[in-house]
Amino acid sequence: MINLIRGRGADATLLRAQTGQLLSEFLFGTAPPAARARRGETGGEAGARIELAYVLDGGERLRIIDALVTVISGAYCHLPQKRAAYALDPVQALHLLRSRVAELSEGEFHLALTSIVLGLRDAHTRYSGPRAGQGAVATLPFLVEQYGSHDDPVFVVSKVAAPQLIRDPKFTAGVVLESWNSIPFARAVDLYSDRETGGRPDARRARALESLTFRALEGGPPPDEMLVDIGYRILPAETRREVRIPWRVVHPARADTSQRPGSRASRYIAADQAAEVVRRAKKMMFSGSVWQAERSGVAVARDKGWIKTWFQDALAARVIKDKTQGELGYLRIWSFDVDDDDAFIAEVIRLLDLLPETGLIVDLRGNPGGLIWAAERLLQLFTPNTVTPARFSVLATPLMRALARSPFNRMEFEAWLPSLEAAIATGEAYSQPLPLTDPAWCNDVGQRYSGPVACVVDPNTYSAGDLFAAGFVDNEIGPLICVGEGSGAGGANVWTHYDLREALVGTPFELEGLPADVGYTVAIRRALRSGAADGMPIEDLGVPGIPYEMTLDDLLHENRGLIAFCAGFLAGIPRTVLKVEVNGDTVAVTTSGLDELETYADGRPFEAVRKVGDGTWELPRPHARIIEFVGRRNGEICQRRKVGS
Amino acid sequence: MSLVVAGRIVPLSRALKVAPSETATFQGKVWIGDDGRIAAVTKGSAQGPAGFEAAPVADVDNDLVIPGFIDLHSHLAYATLPLWVEPGRTEPFPHHDIWPTRPTYAESVTWPAYAFIEATPVELLAYAEIRALIGGTTSIQGSPPSNRPLDGWLVRNIEDETLDGEVGRHQVLASTLTLKSEQLGERATRMRQGATFIYHCAEGRPGSIVQREYLATRTAGCLQRHLVAIHTNSVDPEAYKTWHEPGAIVWSPFSNLWLYGTTTDVPAAVTRGINLCVGSDWGPSGTRNVLGELKVASLVSEANGWGLTDFDLVKMITANPGDVLAQAWQRQAGRLQPGALGDVAVIAAKPKADPFKTILRATEADVRMVVVNGRPLYGTETLMKQAGARQTSEINLNGQLSGQSRRLALTRFDADAQPWSFGEVLKRLEEVRADPKVAIERARRLAFASIRSGGAPRLRLALDMPTGKVPVGGLPKNLTKIIVPPIQPLAHDSEFFASISSRGFHGGLLDGLADFYS
Repeated sequence: MINLIRGRGADATLLRAQTGQLLSEFLFGTAPPAARARRGETGGEAGARIELAYVLDGGERLRIIDALVTVISGAYCHLPQKRAAYALDPVQALHLLRSRVAELSEGEFHLALTSIVLGLRDAHTRYSGPRAGQGAVATLPFLVEQYGSHDDPVFVVSKVAAPQLIRDPKFTAGVVLESWNSIPFARAVDLYSDRETGGRPDARRARALESLTFRALEGGPPPDEMLVDIGYRILPAETRREVRIPWRVVHPARADTSQRPGSRASRYIAADQAAEVVRRAKKMMFSGSVWQAERSGVAVARDKGWIKTWFQDALAARVIKDKTQGELGYLRIWSFDVDDDDAFIAEVIRLLDLLPETGLIVDLRGNPGGLIWAAERLLQLFTPNTVTPARFSVLATPLMRALARSPFNRMEFEAWLPSLEAAIATGEAYSQPLPLTDPAWCNDVGQRYSGPVACVVDPNTYSAGDLFAAGFVDNEIGPLICVGEGSGAGGANVWTHYDLREALVGTPFELEGLPADVGYTVAIRRALRSGAADGMPIEDLGVPGIPYEMTLDDLLHENRGLIAFCAGFLAGIPRTVLKVEVNGDTVAVTTSGLDELETYADGRPFEAVRKVGDGTWELPRPHARIIEFVGRRNGEICQRRKVGS
Repeated sequence: MSLVVAGRIVPLSRALKVAPSETATFQGKVWIGDDGRIAAVTKGSAQGPAGFEAAPVADVDNDLVIPGFIDLHSHLAYATLPLWVEPGRTEPFPHHDIWPTRPTYAESVTWPAYAFIEATPVELLAYAEIRALIGGTTSIQGSPPSNRPLDGWLVRNIEDETLDGEVGRHQVLASTLTLKSEQLGERATRMRQGATFIYHCAEGRPGSIVQREYLATRTAGCLQRHLVAIHTNSVDPEAYKTWHEPGAIVWSPFSNLWLYGTTTDVPAAVTRGINLCVGSDWGPSGTRNVLGELKVASLVSEANGWGLTDFDLVKMITANPGDVLAQAWQRQAGRLQPGALGDVAVIAAKPKADPFKTILRATEADVRMVVVNGRPLYGTETLMKQAGARQTSEINLNGQLSGQSRRLALTRFDADAQPWSFGEVLKRLEEVRADPKVAIERARRLAFASIRSGGAPRLRLALDMPTGKVPVGGLPKNLTKIIVPPIQPLAHDSEFFASISSRGFHGGLLDGLADFYS
């Protein structure tokens, strides 16, 4: 059975970008010692080449530490929570590092600094040192997934990139993994997950698994080893085999639709930037032709059976068939990394129009987040109810008060200022929470999909993905299915050093420039949920839902079990339909499963409540800027459509 | 560059060596040295000081040579905007916290101003300063908060002025927004150390709740000689008695009447020894320059029977604010006398005409030349040539100067020697107005790129007035919803006067402003 999927997922042609360069060459400008030994070269260990790399002097190191002390103590919005959850004091740790900064070697310094920041278990908040490659990803050309329970997982290769990158024709998708550099595979994953971000153990495991073979170099250290020895079996009873695969470094670049540096959207990002670049690298390695087509400017379908879309980096949609439910819609949201949320939402609406109204599965697994507006505004398409967005608060510190008081930040932070000022007297640790997506924007388009909707997330659904999941639950849109214990638990708006540096100009907390290529990201506004979970943070907790354990069947047959599981939930939701078509002076309204129809013209009732059954109703077209139809069933609002005149 | 201006001198000086009284005028010369300070003021053909042998002489004949006007209350960031009223409102606003909450405020005021300040700050600044300049203003308060000092370019930006390094930065502090007691306490301390503090205080109808802002300044220790209180029109005049060492009040009658239907009790303030100055306020509820505001002051004085003379009024835009600045800068402004700032305006006058009445009635067409720090920045072609101005360009005021041409000595903000023209300034502003969304987004990206590359930061300005009821982030979701109204002409014009009648809460009093320009 495993043999059926060998070779799945990889395009046959090897792209030059997929080859990249060996990690050893990337780091040291040379091949790894073993490779040189094969070529007959002697002497000059790789370590010696490190000396040629750029080394920070003591003053530069102090500048970095001082910036991080200022930012983490004054702006890092999760600091009280992290102190409580992990019994740590990153600010004191930074002060201690500061006191011995000049005694450390270059490697020791960056390792110490990275460890302090990684200790926060927050994928939003990362430090990247001077040698970290912007946009570079260290890769092994295969993907590992697990199935079974958290306590007894089985690890299999689920995808292999172009076969030219692995000199072992037996190492294909479906093989069961036994060891990693002679360490039992499960143990290796656990060891690596201890270095990963993520509040919950399952989240750390999931993130470790995702980044085991793909590591963003701008947000963390490079792999320790240049080559990896993988022990595997083709079938459990077969002979154990071993393959040696070198790490390669690739640059997947950003999609044309992704957030542009300095754009208005850039201050409203909730994303794990490292996971985003890893996602891009996976796309490049396993869907090379789709990745290559990004710059063609045409709509592309990711594979046969999928609908073509201009937002192929963020979206994919197809009609799926379920044994019991028949045809359903399947919307994959890979990422919310878009610059134009209006265009993104318009594209989702177009895709929804091409999917059956019988039910929809929205799959956000592995979505590393992106633009908050895109995630929160999208919710309205699936519900007749008014969507309430998450709210965000900032730390009530002198730094954040100064930032909010700065005349240059008035447009953006004036609303937070009164509560920050009041916190001096009230002792509140946080400002008043306020939405980052204006509630009016969350409801400006309205419902567009009639059928029931289920959402699927996993521990790698992060940040803006968490916000979507939280909004999905808190606004009672439909069932949330979780592969794992919950969503990824990243609850914040994240800023870069440049954002903070610009915002703090003219305040007593002005930040100096950092040494070349050094940077960091930091969680600055903390997300709190709405609805029944009002006030609950997302960070470290995530959004729990109906648990689901992945099976081998899912890995082998494109999530077959998971889809059947979701379809079962969709089956239990009563179906109603409301379609509106404007024709000159009339409006054709098609209803199904509804018993009452209300019509509003610019927010005012246009006529008495109309009793309806299943059928199409030709109604006079109200003269109004916005016409709204509300369909009820047994008094409950089930459908709502807004039509602009 | 030194400069001599010859004509009928109206020095407004109390220095007996210059004139026997503040009201005295005479044919003579003002000698401005290389340092931009007045070296001497001489009568008739008396010999001037040494060192002026090669100095250009601008001879204005019978025209009035007066101190450049000082506008102690404006908001440059909003200069391009037309007068604003909340549609359908029939009652005056009680105080300054009310009108920013009205539904049309943000879209009419905040967002258009933001479009310019974000997308094209230098051109906005140029527009606002040129508008002041053509009305004879040489110093102006109300510069937008900026990330770089704004001194030494066109007119003097009062909050940023350092007199070429003679005084330290932040000698003049200002706040449009109401400050908390802690912040006021800090200002009180700064004033005791010599700073001047210009503060919007108690702006509203008499007896309204905001009069407590005046009480708060007193409690905080801010009622000092160095306090310049803007408006105070809600204050019970009796309360002025508590200002034991009086400072100054800036009176903006147009704005007060437009928004509140009443204005500051000027006689009560004058009786208490408070130094009265006039300020033009801002585009949405003000005049286009302080010379225009002076006429409103005259209208109000006459209507209320306050008996302010033409001389009293002219002092409110020259010597009185000049004395305020002299405290801050340790250098006299607003008076023509040795050692004072070489800031001069030339106003057209008939021979033997009453000088103060002439100034009061003067319009932009009567402003013949303006000199800041000894540099001729604006004037008729003849005078600019006589004054040795170089790299000037014609400034087109759409026929508002009755066919007379004017020249402007404008250089680019970031490149001192590069000539620039008002036409280019206006062109860029119109580009932003045509597509604010694209302009704002492009500016943001460039700013970010500059920070990221470690390059010199571009000039950033910030709005200083209330933002109003705005969505998260202060801007509409769709930036194409930002509609920028037509950029207003620099000078008072018939459309401006037409927009006054039957709008605002002035009861028809401001209709009389047009008569000064007819």
